[in-house]
Amino acid sequence: MEAYIIAGYRTAVGKAPRGGFRFMRADDLAATVIKHLVTTMPQLDVTKIDDVIVGNAMPEAEQGLNVGRLISLMGLDTDKVPGVTVNRYCASGLETIATATAKIKSGMADCIVAGGVEVMSGMPFGGWKIVPNPVVAKHHPDWYWGMGLTAEAVAKEYHVSREDQDAFALRSHQKAIAAIKNGHLKDGVVPITVTENYLKDNKIATREYIVDTDEGPRADSSAEVLAKLKPVFATGGCITAGNSSQTSDGAAFVMVVSEKMLKELDVKPIARLVSYAVAGVPPRIMGIGPISAIPKALEMAGLQTEDIDLIELNEAFASQSLAVIRELGLDERKVNVNGGAIALGHPLGCTGAKLTVQILNELKRREKKYGMVTMCVGTGQGAAGIFEMLD
Amino acid sequence: MNRRIKKVAVLGSGVMGSRIACHFANIGIEVLLLDIAPRELLPQEEAKGLTLESAVVRNRIVNNSLDTALKTNPSPIYSKRYVKRIRTGNFEDDMSAIATCDWVIEVVVERLDIKKSVFEQIEQHRRTGTLITSNTSGIPIHLMTEGRSDDFKAHFCGTHFFNPPRYLELLEIIPTAHTKPEVIDFLMHFGDNMLGKTVVLCKDTPAFIGNRVGVYSMLALTHLVEQMGLSVEEVDKYTGPAMGHPKSATFRTADVVGLDTLVNVAQGLTENVPNDEAKAVFQLPSYINKMVEKKWLGEKSKQGFYKKVKDDKGNSVILVLDLKTLEYREQEKVKSETLEATKPVEDIRKRMKVYEQGTDKAGILFRAMHYPLFEYVSHRVPEITDDFYRIDDAMRAGFGWELGPFEVWDALGVRETIEKIQKEEKGLPGQQGEVAQWVHDMLEAGHDSFYKVQDGVRHYYDIASKSYKPMPGAENLIVLDHIRDTKTIWKNSGVTITDLGDGIVNCEFHTKMNTIGGDVIQGVNKAIDLAEKEYRGLVITNDGKNFSAGANIGMIFMMAVEQDYDELNMAVRMFQNTAMRIRYSSIPVVVAPFQLTLGGGCEFSMHADFVQLHAETYMGLVEFGVGVIPGGGGSKEFALRASDEYKPDQIVQNTLKERFLTIGQAKVSTSAVEAAELGYLREGKYAITMNRKRLLADAKAKALELANAGYIQPAPRTDIKVLGNQGLGIVYVGASSMREGNYISDHDKKISEKLGWVMCGGNLSEPTEVSEQYLLDMERKAFLELCAERKTLERIQHMLTKGKPLRN
Repeated sequence: MEAYIIAGYRTAVGKAPRGGFRFMRADDLAATVIKHLVTTMPQLDVTKIDDVIVGNAMPEAEQGLNVGRLISLMGLDTDKVPGVTVNRYCASGLETIATATAKIKSGMADCIVAGGVEVMSGMPFGGWKIVPNPVVAKHHPDWYWGMGLTAEAVAKEYHVSREDQDAFALRSHQKAIAAIKNGHLKDGVVPITVTENYLKDNKIATREYIVDTDEGPRADSSAEVLAKLKPVFATGGCITAGNSSQTSDGAAFVMVVSEKMLKELDVKPIARLVSYAVAGVPPRIMGIGPISAIPKALEMAGLQTEDIDLIELNEAFASQSLAVIRELGLDERKVNVNGGAIALGHPLGCTGAKLTVQILNELKRREKKYGMVTMCVGTGQGAAGIFEMLD
Repeated sequence: MNRRIKKVAVLGSGVMGSRIACHFANIGIEVLLLDIAPRELLPQEEAKGLTLESAVVRNRIVNNSLDTALKTNPSPIYSKRYVKRIRTGNFEDDMSAIATCDWVIEVVVERLDIKKSVFEQIEQHRRTGTLITSNTSGIPIHLMTEGRSDDFKAHFCGTHFFNPPRYLELLEIIPTAHTKPEVIDFLMHFGDNMLGKTVVLCKDTPAFIGNRVGVYSMLALTHLVEQMGLSVEEVDKYTGPAMGHPKSATFRTADVVGLDTLVNVAQGLTENVPNDEAKAVFQLPSYINKMVEKKWLGEKSKQGFYKKVKDDKGNSVILVLDLKTLEYREQEKVKSETLEATKPVEDIRKRMKVYEQGTDKAGILFRAMHYPLFEYVSHRVPEITDDFYRIDDAMRAGFGWELGPFEVWDALGVRETIEKIQKEEKGLPGQQGEVAQWVHDMLEAGHDSFYKVQDGVRHYYDIASKSYKPMPGAENLIVLDHIRDTKTIWKNSGVTITDLGDGIVNCEFHTKMNTIGGDVIQGVNKAIDLAEKEYRGLVITNDGKNFSAGANIGMIFMMAVEQDYDELNMAVRMFQNTAMRIRYSSIPVVVAPFQLTLGGGCEFSMHADFVQLHAETYMGLVEFGVGVIPGGGGSKEFALRASDEYKPDQIVQNTLKERFLTIGQAKVSTSAVEAAELGYLREGKYAITMNRKRLLADAKAKALELANAGYIQPAPRTDIKVLGNQGLGIVYVGASSMREGNYISDHDKKISEKLGWVMCGGNLSEPTEVSEQYLLDMERKAFLELCAERKTLERIQHMLTKGKPLRN
């Protein structure tokens, strides 16, 4: 049995904590995308959706209380479709697509909405309440380190210079700016109308605006500006706000269906997930996760690195991105052709799904076959998924 | 009706205006700060498509000035939160808003025509009865009100703040003939009690009191320097703290103030004091004229009498100007037998006497400076003031002199000095060797000093009645110096206990830097014993420069080096017990800190029933700097305070973290207000005194109030919630992350983990209520363990020898 992706949508990515989605709730943002997803498929009886699987890296506060179930209720206007929240940090949005694919392939489901959402605005790093296990913390404090420190450690161990990181960051912005200009990042974006109640002359006033373009890329970024930024995680370090991914708000979902549902709906499949692999690495250098995950995914798919036409490598940090590219000998011309998270942002739990939507549209535009979405994951993991376009 | 100030307008946002605005915000007053609207757009404003009508452009000048002021260090504002009290605007759009203000302070450029036009605008908008004062250092006040209404004139006078207004204590009040007495009284009182200033009432004479005497003194010195062929570094060595003047002495001060400012006042004086017998002193010596020509004005032009350069190795070196060649050269070491002789003399009055007798250049300079100064100031009465003490007040508060000229004269002996003045070589213009008649009259009337203390109250010689009168307001002050002789009830080498009357005693430290060692501990316990037995309340404060630099680490070092851990354990336990007695005794204890209040000084304050502190109190638990955790109850107290902040379902780890970091980063407050923000003070358990001189009186009043209210000895706490394992994890992760990020050293990490262990109460399986003693025992154990570390000893030794922390 095979599982097919038949549709995929995302929001533009808002800058956190002061972008267009700064006061949007994750449930509202995700529900809006799912609503849009099902309206594009009027022939679908939504009660036939077996599950809504929502990736989220910080499932607490507004994103807590099994937000996946709430999103299903809010987005599908029925209580018949369940919902679940899945957390593999930055791979969550890809993990959900893999879970959906596996369930359908094994005959456990016919139609699943899978993706992720993250609103980082207003959420402290690490979540609201951090209570590490004191015994573990004493002996392995790096298991709990902030990601910035791991990026410093990768830069050190893999000899990635500050200059190279800054140059990589600048290219990310330049590619993203060009892609926005050419309209290459428009496909699959659901414009979100935001209603804002604000204080005007001591009274509540209301205004509406639409967010339909990724907010992160900076046309005015330059080597000089990047070089001037101070390291933020370590004195004498090399990781700056400029060569790290941006914190962001966004949601993205795809619909994965079985052969049977494909026929019922009478739609053409866009792509399928050929393989998905996760791998463990030392938490203190979590950024190298893809170095272990990518070969596993390739092997599972029976493919070579050269077979992959496009790669979306999540740019958590320029240091780890460069370490991965160099270590695996990835062709930089295939990596993040429209820019990466340093420019476009990284809404943690949404990222895997958002990159999937982006890569499928780019493969289609280029009429290419194989694409890979890969990322490092906190606490020492990597994830990689290979997609094949179907015509 | 009582006059109240809720809102002030400050017109002009330059260096003085914006800082005056900040100081009013400091005391809780709403401020409207205005300046002119720009007449031209900046290129970047034009690029943004802004016009001269855009709101951001119109307030650009005032906003930029305020931003610049707020960025200066030390800060003009007590707390960043207070910036919101200042609303900015411009003269064109917002002048009408002064109708909502109770006091308008004009601080525009020093030009009479401009000031007058501003006053004309003020008059159009002000409410009747509103105060208007002008901050000027040179323009005669009476010329400013020409054409103004009677009500304006009645409520108008000069208010001369000194820069920086938050820190410099002097405020001169210059009324005109039309100023209502009520207005003068109000400003004198407000400046003293609310703004914390030494308020000096001046006559409307050129440069008023402070600058008249200060600039005379400075310029007289510049002439003497030329005559005696002294070098810049010699002068600054001779005229610094040894002489009771600030560390920046003479030329360093000139560099900070700016030579142009000095020259402006001097030129103004030359023109405006035709009858001053010494007016030729205000003529600048040629080397200063040349410096002004070259624009070597001091710090603002990066060079003056001193110049900072980088040497070959990239190290900063401060060169000094050779006054003969006007070239910069390396500084030379200054040696002086006189200065050596003055060094061991702590009492400033006795030191002056030793200094005067010096036979080397320093001694000669001392006499050549002071004799003509005494003569000069004696002749300024009644020209610039009827009461000579105002000159002393101005010089102490405005120029940082420990003693004013008449006080120095008293110290040297009035009568014998007159003879010396007559004999001394007359090197300076106007120097006649003759002091004013009123001084002779004073001596003839049998009064041989300008001041004297009677019954603990300072008196001054009143020229008109030829008798001594109490210093105005002195009855409301308590000065330990004045009561120590008569009111001491117990003393040892580190502490004097005095009876303040009304059943309140004071415990005063007088060790070096007021550090707390065995003698102070003994003294504090004695004070509590005495107060419990025979009195009603206790105040702990002193008259030093700082409240306390903390525990005597020299003593700790000795015991630690000799591995005398039992002894050390005893000492630390004694310290803790003393802190606990401050809180848990049968009488109220008010601690009144000011200036530096570190380590043990902070711990004593934290254990007080009430803290009455001066607005300028720099408080902190800085023990990390010497490689230990607070061991005198400070760590316990922060755990206790964190516990008191916990609410049900709250994320308590964050509260603990904030408390932990305050000690971990050795945060020292930059003001009393910030001390409260950092958690060193407890809401409702402290009050701020603006005027340092009033601190002891306020503290005593508070102790009395607590005693009168019926003081009940509290019971030690047994309900302190510590987090145990729920807090320890974040301690370890935090310390590891800081280490990995190179923000701290391995030793810092170790100290952090120990502090975390204490503040969490150890590895308890669940949050648990513990007693104060449980935490004190943990705190002491951690302290002792750290004292056994080599790196801690290195830190302590470094602090003892170099006076600053070592990061090892």
